Amino acid sequence: MLGTLLFQGLVGLSGAMYLWLVSAGLTLIFGVLRVLNFAHGSLYMLGAYLALTLVTSLHQPFWSALLLGAAGVAAVGVVLERVFIRPVYRLPIAYQLLLTFGFVLIFDDLVKIVWGPIYQVPPMPPSLGGAVLVLGRPYPVYNLFIMGAGAAVALLLWAVLDLTRWGKLVRAASSDREMAAAVGINVPWVFAEVFAFGAALAALGGALTVPVQTVSPGMGEGIIITAFIVVVIGGLGNLWGAFVGALLIGLLQAYGTLFVPVFDLALAFIVMALVLIWRPEGLFGGRPA
Amino acid sequence: MARRITRRHFLTSGLAAAGGAALVGTWDAVRPVVYAQGTKPIRIGAETILSGPYGGYGQFAEWGGRLAVEEINRAGGILGREVQIDFRDEEFKAATTVKNVRYHVQEWGADVVIGVDSSGDVLAAAEVMPQLDRILIVHHAATEKLNEVEVYQKKNRHVFRISVPVYQDGIASALVAKDFYNVKRWATVSPDYEYGYTSWRLFRETLSHFRPDVQYVAEAWAKFNTSDFSSHISKVMAAKPDGIFSTQWGGEAVAFVRQAKLFGVFNQIKVMMIGMGAAMDVLEGLGRDYPDGVWASCRYWFQYPATQLNRQFVARFQERWKHYPSYVSETMYSCVYAAKAAIEKSHSTRTADLIAALEGMTLETPAGRRVFRREDHQAVYEVPWGRIAHPANYPMPVIEHTRVFPATEYYRWPPFTKLFGT
Repeated sequence: MLGTLLFQGLVGLSGAMYLWLVSAGLTLIFGVLRVLNFAHGSLYMLGAYLALTLVTSLHQPFWSALLLGAAGVAAVGVVLERVFIRPVYRLPIAYQLLLTFGFVLIFDDLVKIVWGPIYQVPPMPPSLGGAVLVLGRPYPVYNLFIMGAGAAVALLLWAVLDLTRWGKLVRAASSDREMAAAVGINVPWVFAEVFAFGAALAALGGALTVPVQTVSPGMGEGIIITAFIVVVIGGLGNLWGAFVGALLIGLLQAYGTLFVPVFDLALAFIVMALVLIWRPEGLFGGRPA
Repeated sequence: MARRITRRHFLTSGLAAAGGAALVGTWDAVRPVVYAQGTKPIRIGAETILSGPYGGYGQFAEWGGRLAVEEINRAGGILGREVQIDFRDEEFKAATTVKNVRYHVQEWGADVVIGVDSSGDVLAAAEVMPQLDRILIVHHAATEKLNEVEVYQKKNRHVFRISVPVYQDGIASALVAKDFYNVKRWATVSPDYEYGYTSWRLFRETLSHFRPDVQYVAEAWAKFNTSDFSSHISKVMAAKPDGIFSTQWGGEAVAFVRQAKLFGVFNQIKVMMIGMGAAMDVLEGLGRDYPDGVWASCRYWFQYPATQLNRQFVARFQERWKHYPSYVSETMYSCVYAAKAAIEKSHSTRTADLIAALEGMTLETPAGRRVFRREDHQAVYEVPWGRIAHPANYPMPVIEHTRVFPATEYYRWPPFTKLFGT
């Protein structure tokens, strides 16, 4: 029984890392720009589709498809922020929600026009197939790889935000944008860069699903709702909160499947409600990112 | 535009129509057939899922429906009237399905409605058909509640179904599984709604009838839009099953099988059965990754029965769309022909006449001879189960070593008091 519990936990961790990659960009963008980006799930989908095309039509290796796909979506992110989102910063938040939700519909239809409405099944990179024995049972190498990728992104984010000069600029712009602008930081560009960075993280999350799942229009809509729960539990705008929230929800989903199969969808919402009753600002809310 | 028909006009167009009809077969290229002026086209509204993980179904179904309409129009239409078909995306939502059905009937002017993929959606659509006073011929949605409850008990006479219901997924599967003497521990990974529950329940009840020695050791229910099946697979594998029964379908079946492979499932169990695993989008989607020997079925298999009618249908479908037909291609195709047969038999498009014509009707279709039972409006015909194989002469996996049971053995029959069979 203990083995079953531990193994299910390991499966939950890999699910948590998919969630973390999506939630990280979502909360980063909110933390710095104060934009609740509904279209984040679309950027996730776009990352998957770009990786799909790079692998199947342009015969790129999986690794470069991951990076090129993320870079492509980062470019889309810059345009999205510069051209469309910037004009609504000063308007009430409902305008942001309407605008980014509009982009969800636009991206879904664009994807249908370019890649077709039907799901696609990309090939698996041979190096990541197979399984290793964990607790006496085969555990997929790919799930281990996802855990590694999630941890690597967490490390990268920490290093970039805490150790680099750019990280300092971002933190300055997020804590007081007027003050940052007054000391000569080009705040609009920092915002665009952060948005691009968050978009690239979403794209990476999407591209990483490509080898083992299917790619279809609307694929971002399922995960974005869960990612919002993660981000709210962790505290809007708080990266480590998102990391902890993703672990919590990922494990909850895995154990939910094990113990309360008919109820597991509601579990995430119940936990969110409990967290909000206990700490309305989320687990790590109110602390600096 | 004035619609007044002069005598000369009437004669020429009538002659052209007759000529057009006569030329079919020899002069296929001479199109379009000119229809007698002043006759309204016959309109068929078609509902299917055209996007997302189940969008492959809608694509194959639309191909089947359009092929039927093209053939019928080339041969002069129905009662000399042109046939038009319009597809709308059901989106796997009951509310959307009902909205689309209403649009088709009330705004677009459909004479007949066909289609509907999901069991949840079809029960919602069935409820509004009497009020809209149109018939719905279902091409796919498989819940037995449609024929056993909605039609048989509640007397909703406006709904027919041309495709085999969950009897295929839940009962025929168990008739196959009863002969797996070394498979005693069964588990399931199935979709978390009506269709998944019903299939698993029928499977267990039927199998236990023959095999009191089998146990059901684990269940994992996957929500709609599940893309990562890791936790479901891990859960059922912890119970060390000999066999896994699944009713995942469409893109979710593809993702499930791929991930099950990663978990080494096929080295640990003796058999897997996937109810709709022989749908063409799943066969094409998995390709080489579809493990040999998985038992799979569908609601029409393009190699069965070996009739000329079926061979010709497959050849025409392939020529037109460059794919082998999926089961929903044939069922949607045959829905159109069922509508044609009903209109021609009754010389009418009035709903009451069509219902009377369809009840008890025998129809020769690519899937074989279908009979619409009077009591529950369910078409009766047989579909095989078989094992996945990768023969070199097909671009996708196919099922081989097929097993077919007589419908009298595996359908449930009115008054539905016996678990299965007559």
